[in-house]
Amino acid sequence: MAQPSAHKFHRFTALALATGLVAAACGSESSSTASVDASSESGNGLEGAAAEIFSGECATTSDTELTIYSGRDEELVGPVLDAFECSTGISVLTNFGDPTDLALTLVEEGDRTPADVFLSKSPGSVGFLQNEGFLQTLNDDLLGLVSEQNTAANGTWVGITGRQRVLVYNTELVTEGDLPESVFDLTDERFRGQVAIPATNGSFQDWFTVFRAQEGDDVAAQWLADMVANDAIVTESNRPTVDAVGRGEFSFGLVNHYYNFQQAEALGDDHQALNHSFAADDIGSLVIVTAAGITSTSENVDEAQQLIEFMLSEPAQAYFTGDSLEYPLSSGVAPADVLPPLNDAGNDFDVAFDDLGNGLEDTIAIIEESGILG
Amino acid sequence: MTFRSRASESPPLLRLLAIAASVVLAGPAVYLIVRNFTADADPVNLLFSDRTVGPLQRTVLLASLVSVSTAILGTGLAWLTTRTDLPARRLWRVLLVLPLVYPTFLGAAALVRTLNPGGLVNDVLTNIGIERTPALQGLWGSWLVLTFLTYPYVFLPVAARFAQLSGSLEQSARLLGDSSWKVFQRIVLPQAVGSIAAGTLLVFLYAISDFGAVAILRYDTLTRSIETNQLNRPVALALSLILLVLAGTVVLAERYAQRRRHATTTSIRADRATPLPLGKTRPLALAAVTLTTFIGLGAPLAAIIEWSIRGIIRGQEIRLDTGRVAELTWNTVWVSTVAAVATVLLVLPVAVLYGRYRSRTGAIGNAVAISTFALPGILVALTGTFFINQSDWTFDTFRNTFTILIFAYMIRFAALAMGTTLLAVKAVPDRLRDAAETLGSRGLRRFVTIDAPLMTPGLLAAGGLVLLSTMKELPISLILSPFEFETLSTRIFGTFSEAFVTEAGLMALTLVLFSLLATWFLVIRPSDS
Repeated sequence: MAQPSAHKFHRFTALALATGLVAAACGSESSSTASVDASSESGNGLEGAAAEIFSGECATTSDTELTIYSGRDEELVGPVLDAFECSTGISVLTNFGDPTDLALTLVEEGDRTPADVFLSKSPGSVGFLQNEGFLQTLNDDLLGLVSEQNTAANGTWVGITGRQRVLVYNTELVTEGDLPESVFDLTDERFRGQVAIPATNGSFQDWFTVFRAQEGDDVAAQWLADMVANDAIVTESNRPTVDAVGRGEFSFGLVNHYYNFQQAEALGDDHQALNHSFAADDIGSLVIVTAAGITSTSENVDEAQQLIEFMLSEPAQAYFTGDSLEYPLSSGVAPADVLPPLNDAGNDFDVAFDDLGNGLEDTIAIIEESGILG
Repeated sequence: MTFRSRASESPPLLRLLAIAASVVLAGPAVYLIVRNFTADADPVNLLFSDRTVGPLQRTVLLASLVSVSTAILGTGLAWLTTRTDLPARRLWRVLLVLPLVYPTFLGAAALVRTLNPGGLVNDVLTNIGIERTPALQGLWGSWLVLTFLTYPYVFLPVAARFAQLSGSLEQSARLLGDSSWKVFQRIVLPQAVGSIAAGTLLVFLYAISDFGAVAILRYDTLTRSIETNQLNRPVALALSLILLVLAGTVVLAERYAQRRRHATTTSIRADRATPLPLGKTRPLALAAVTLTTFIGLGAPLAAIIEWSIRGIIRGQEIRLDTGRVAELTWNTVWVSTVAAVATVLLVLPVAVLYGRYRSRTGAIGNAVAISTFALPGILVALTGTFFINQSDWTFDTFRNTFTILIFAYMIRFAALAMGTTLLAVKAVPDRLRDAAETLGSRGLRRFVTIDAPLMTPGLLAAGGLVLLSTMKELPISLILSPFEFETLSTRIFGTFSEAFVTEAGLMALTLVLFSLLATWFLVIRPSDS
């Protein structure tokens, strides 16, 4: 045994050092957020973005507790949920997680699930829940808040925000004139070995499902086969794809528009990538929606509807587009200035997301058979 | 050494505890079998289909390669940092454990960011005239990343074993003129074979269960198929069962090999062994540990720092405050510590029953615990949900509670504690216990004076492995935690997957820092003193 006093001293220094480092790392940010908070503090106790969404006085707390399974991250929906609690007095309990894992959990819980509302990053997992019979039909007022192509055909879920499919490209490696008009152009020889596809990712699979519904299985499968023949690179998901394109590991990636903005905000000039939208009527420009549904076992249907209405209200939609740079789908809110405007035609595909869930199994089968994964 | 069973001598309470633990540990297997039936899954047909054979072969190939490289790397590093005069050994012993703290989705992504084209290392190499570096991808990329993120599974138990060995044999051998390499090969290695095998088995099972690294590095293994087919239940469940059977087979094969191996000589350290002078190879050894630390710890850390500071420097608005980080850190530390202690306590009866009394019950419990490590975490989380969902009362009582959360962690990481705990149990020679008993020391007194001191380093290493793994655990923490209870890793996952890389980077730095402190205070220092 060594001298205890020396040990104590080391322990103390180490802890002090650790605390100091963490404080230093976080200190710089508290000062930068402080100014934002000060301007938006609004007597109701809400701070930051939540205070901008709702500035009125908080309602009296009701007994109802609404349980949410959220496949969308806390950074994105947290302020909206806080503002909702304040404005309605309804308490919200949230389980954040991966949308697929949450959907599987909900099905495993069956009729005993505490979940009232399910929020998803993309239509795949709500489609799955709908097929398993876990979502109830929403009322027409709620469905009427968004245009028809952004809701489930059978009315079990509704879109909250949109993320457009784009081609992210490296600005050092690609000149603007070389950018393609259509996703079909990517099978050209000049794109050989340069295009990354996050084929195992939910948002790509959802897009591909709509692609199949729109153009037919033969065309969709042929396109994917041509991409494989053109040495397309398969990546895991949107974020690492955008990261690799920003570094110049490869020139192009088929992703959602959202990620490049976040990555650029964090990394600045070091991240050399921009989004390119295909032509408005090209299937490559599809808008994939984030979605919300109410479980068939929910005993708080009124409150659940209030929550979804709140998420589609003007201030919440303005927050979603202003803060997280997604496309608003309701209340006449215009997209944030940095977002290229969506051509109305761009969203107007005959078949929306009807077949998601059902169609997902076939989509995965086609992707696996294409040989892109190996 | 004989292998006669001494099960009849085992205390009934011990047997009861071991059986209870084994039942708990068998949960995921039971769940998978039940769900394969209820979902009309067809694992047998699927096993021989084209979509399975390829990924299965790739899984086995990757896991085997990673096992071989981690066995060599982990053992070599353990020897260098415990038995030689390598400078700053204790510092290396902390640093070399740390690659374990990166959740693989983050560690692999960060390694790729630093090492792949356009990354920091690439920039440096380009400046000194090396234009083309291969991109990490596919088999070799997955192999490299998994090797450097998982070798601590071998390093930690083997270092604990080496630290315990007497130096007398080594010294005699050296006096008789054996070279360092010969001493290592003939004296040191045979005494650590059990630890090396146990650690390597964990690496193999981890490698077949990993999804994060293979997905980022684009190598199509069985877990990638499971992940891709998550919402296609019959396929995902059948593939998971195939994975479990593969794991069980490997565990039994290892058991068979172990029986045929000569029993390890148990030599107990009477006093501190004199470090072996490395002489001229000292710079080489130093280069080896530095390079390993650079790839396993430094390269991911470089990317994490790059992610976090660029935003801060540019004055980006950061959605995170000090109080929140402190809360997340506290949650992470306490829940992981409880999980580590609980897991070691859970596996201890099984390990004693198996290691000391060679009971069949213990053997089964041991095999079940270790095989389960190959299953993806989400399956363990769903197992928890499945079992509490058998009645209204259990569901309302346990859903999203710390009880179910800790139980799930215990099942998920029992394998990590099992191998090392077993070795700790075996580190207490029967003859020493017998002698103590003859001298009138038994029961608790014997445990405190004989068993506990000899077992401590092993048990701490076991707890340390569980602790570090729980700190970075994801699916279980996300699904089973009480509502609003979040840890650093769940927030890192949430922010990172939505590309808030500054926030994810800052929290990852905090995670690394506290893992470093935990390793130092809970694993390295106590086992040294």
